[in-house]
Amino acid sequence: MAVNPTGRRRLLAGADATLRSVLVVASLVFAAGLATRFRARVDLGFDQTSVLQPDTHHKLAQLAGGPPVRITAFTSQPGRPDAALKDQRLRDLLDEVELAADDVEVRWVDYDRERLTAEQLGVTAYGVVVVQRGEQRVDLHDRALFQREGGPEGALRFTGEPALARALAQLLTDRRRMVYTLVGHGEPAADSPAPDGLAELARLLSTDHIELRSLDLARDRTPGEAPQIPADADAVLVIAPTATIPSTEDDVLAAAVARGVPFLVALDTGTGVPSWLQRAGIRLGDGWIMDAVRVFPYVDRPIPRTRTHPITADLARQALVTVLPRVAPVMAAVPAQDGVMTSTLLSSGDEAWTERGGAAVDGVPVHDPELDGPIGPLAMALAVELGPASGLVTRGDTRVVVLGDADGLRNATLAEGPGNPTFVMNAMRWLLRDEAALSVVRPPAAARRLALTRAQLDTLRAGALAYGPLVALLAAWVARLGRRER
Amino acid sequence: MVEVRALCKSWGPRPALRDVGFAIGSGEIVGILGPNGAGKTTTMRILTGYLAATSGEVRVAGHDVLDDPDAVKRHVGYLPETPPLYPELTVGQSLRFVAELRGYDRRARVLAAGTAMERVGLGGWEDRRVGTLSKGYRQRVGIAQAILHAPPVLILDEPTSGLDPAQVGEIRALIRALAGSHTVLLSTHVLAEVEAMCPRAVVLAAGRVRADGPLDALRAATGDGGWVEAEVRGVAPRVLGEVPGVAWVEPGEADADGWIPLRMKAADPARPSIAAAVQVAGGQLRALRWCLPSLQDTFLSLTRDP
Amino acid sequence: MSAAWAVWRKELAIYAATPLAYVLAAVTLSLAGLFFWLGVALTGEASLRVMLSDLAVAQLFIVPMLTMRSVAEERRQGTLELLLTCPVSPGAIVVGKWLAALTLCGIVLAATGVFPVVLAMYGDPDWGVIATSYLGLGCVSAAFCAAGLFASTLTDDHVAAGLLGIVMLLPLWLLAGAERVLPRAWAERLAPLGLVGHLQSFGHGILDTADLAYFAALGCGFLVLATHRLEGRRWR
Repeated sequence: MAVNPTGRRRLLAGADATLRSVLVVASLVFAAGLATRFRARVDLGFDQTSVLQPDTHHKLAQLAGGPPVRITAFTSQPGRPDAALKDQRLRDLLDEVELAADDVEVRWVDYDRERLTAEQLGVTAYGVVVVQRGEQRVDLHDRALFQREGGPEGALRFTGEPALARALAQLLTDRRRMVYTLVGHGEPAADSPAPDGLAELARLLSTDHIELRSLDLARDRTPGEAPQIPADADAVLVIAPTATIPSTEDDVLAAAVARGVPFLVALDTGTGVPSWLQRAGIRLGDGWIMDAVRVFPYVDRPIPRTRTHPITADLARQALVTVLPRVAPVMAAVPAQDGVMTSTLLSSGDEAWTERGGAAVDGVPVHDPELDGPIGPLAMALAVELGPASGLVTRGDTRVVVLGDADGLRNATLAEGPGNPTFVMNAMRWLLRDEAALSVVRPPAAARRLALTRAQLDTLRAGALAYGPLVALLAAWVARLGRRER
Repeated sequence: MVEVRALCKSWGPRPALRDVGFAIGSGEIVGILGPNGAGKTTTMRILTGYLAATSGEVRVAGHDVLDDPDAVKRHVGYLPETPPLYPELTVGQSLRFVAELRGYDRRARVLAAGTAMERVGLGGWEDRRVGTLSKGYRQRVGIAQAILHAPPVLILDEPTSGLDPAQVGEIRALIRALAGSHTVLLSTHVLAEVEAMCPRAVVLAAGRVRADGPLDALRAATGDGGWVEAEVRGVAPRVLGEVPGVAWVEPGEADADGWIPLRMKAADPARPSIAAAVQVAGGQLRALRWCLPSLQDTFLSLTRDP
Repeated sequence: MSAAWAVWRKELAIYAATPLAYVLAAVTLSLAGLFFWLGVALTGEASLRVMLSDLAVAQLFIVPMLTMRSVAEERRQGTLELLLTCPVSPGAIVVGKWLAALTLCGIVLAATGVFPVVLAMYGDPDWGVIATSYLGLGCVSAAFCAAGLFASTLTDDHVAAGLLGIVMLLPLWLLAGAERVLPRAWAERLAPLGLVGHLQSFGHGILDTADLAYFAALGCGFLVLATHRLEGRRWR
């Protein structure tokens, strides 16, 4: 049969429709493939705990190129109240790690069923995560991955990512670095979980394989010998001494500076500046910084502006706010002394002044020109490099970071400010000359637990199970009623 | 208004329509007549753009159904064999839905639905659910849906099938009333319907057009005049065959009393001679009727396979 | 597109008038309640993860049941002839029907909104995570509605259409366990097609372009196929 015009048209139109459908489906598949290849992941969760922290990404990137990383995770002990939650959390984390890095291989092992694997790896407990890279190996135990806050019934906190970050840092540098924080003059202790303590800081530093330890120069010394900074100290923190540091100890610190040990000095308003730092021309203003421009939700404190420096580059890029509740202005001598190079890390806005307790409106201090001095930008943190010309250093140079506020490093505030962990960590990395590790650091978040009594739990069960049928019945009844009126 | 030329449709190797062609002028009422399976529904579905023809051309109001199906659909109101109704909706909802589907805005929708309901006699039934209506009223809803957009061409597929006699009467009256403002094409296998409503019929059988024209012309084309029917007793049918003016005699079965029905090809004036011939032969005559061919006979002779 | 809204309105009116939608809503909400309770009892966490991921699997069986009648029934009772003899594109009809089914899913999902409120009474849920979880469930529903609609264009029989829809979607779900059955290389290649993998990220607060594209492709693909079925019917 010859193809007549209608037949041809029909063929064209019909084939056209088929071709169009095929093309559309093909392009959809192609687009989906493209989106999978160039995938972007955005964490909309309030805690930002789901995608990996920039810092972990950074560490994984540093590890790339070397031998592949093998992560073997063992299941939690079944039957324990939190087993499901723990496994779920760990699995999420490791899924993300596998997504983030090409040369990381994650294996999930059922501890009860695959005992052989456990024996081969020498693992004898539930919930262990073994991180291997070539010959290197780091074991993360349950207590490092999950922590209870406030007793056995307290909230479970998943610290898997910081623990993993520490393991990765350990794979990067095998040597654990020691940082001492001075105590004995009213300073917070490294292991204190109190709101003004430094336990959070210690935990944060551990993700870079850094150990923070308290150091009491008067007590921690060999009897009969002069006090001294331990030889293994990679850096020393001086955080808000409330009493004056005796001159003997001040000399010990000065000797350490001369030796090249870097310092992080965080001072509260009214505390004395160590004499060696004074000699470098660093002073602390009396009073605290108030800024006429306030930003929600930090209405009672000045918002630090970041200045160009490796330490604050990430803060500037991500617009992270460092919370310094009551910060004193830090001043360097002008002109700079020989051999002393200072750069401002954080400073106030242009409409700030040094508040000295003058007039206030509605409880908020206002600028009092007589008492408070002129208006203008004020430095909150300085990075100082001391060269031999300063007379403080014998050879090479030493790095010091000076902060006009100590509260920003304490447990209570460290997690509050979005930029605080990043600022502290990057300051520490800069001090330790580990510039390659500079990156954004976020505080770990607590699991969001329900607080339910037994009775509430029972009510909840009854309600949850009855809800569906009840709602549907109600809807059907309403619809029926509406129809009967016709 | 409607032009169909050389229409063919086949499903696989089986042809359903073979070279169907007819033309309908504006304002005509045409019946498509044919036994079940003749291709009436297929033709109508092609006319409305629901199916595509294998070959051939269909134009409605000047638009080609393949090139511009939407224009054709705007000009055609269609009532399929089973009225396309949603039993869950009310009459008003159904009509407003169709109006919205045809692109009427909110106000025009209500207006068009109201007009259509009035025209088919559904005034006051707006809030009744379609599922609760009788068959006749459902058919009215179906027609209302078809005429809602005031189409110049109305295509009705077996509009009275399955209705009781009273309902059939009502629907026929309704269609006759509609015919004033629409060109109507209706299909049926019931002859009375065509006789009652359509001045013109297209007879379709086995996918072909067997006849097309006014009813009288159709009758004349097949009817070779009339015939005479008689019932006799005691006469051999062959005797009557020799009566002048009788072409042939077709005897039926004799009943218990010996009465034989006869069908004779003869003209009306031949009846007295037939009566006389029966008497001469000594037989009895109970009935002697002059018969004209009914449309039924025309239809049967047209659609009988050659 | 006004035709799509006409079809949407009509479909919703029919859903409201038939018991099917209420039965399916009751089943979905009952399962949601059960999963919610299980999640709370299992993890004690102020999160809807268990409920939402399990509900997505339940949708796989429920949504094809919801959409099974949408085209099959029109075809059976002859109303498809009405739709297709109106000057309306098959695409608009498909979109209208799809939106109607999706609207119903949305109403049912909205009714599960009491569960996060309960969580907020006894804990402090992460609203960002809950929002993405619901978005994920919405994506799944949209894709499943499209698949169910396509299944419904394949046959005149409701039940067959419903089963067909489930059978079409089931492999996507079962791919999650593919590595236990198939050779590793195969399983890895097929993994991106799996449903479960694309749902995980939504469950913990992450929007991933790959997941969004997966569900968009799945949904649009089935809609195109359904439109093609309606359009191609003319030529058979």
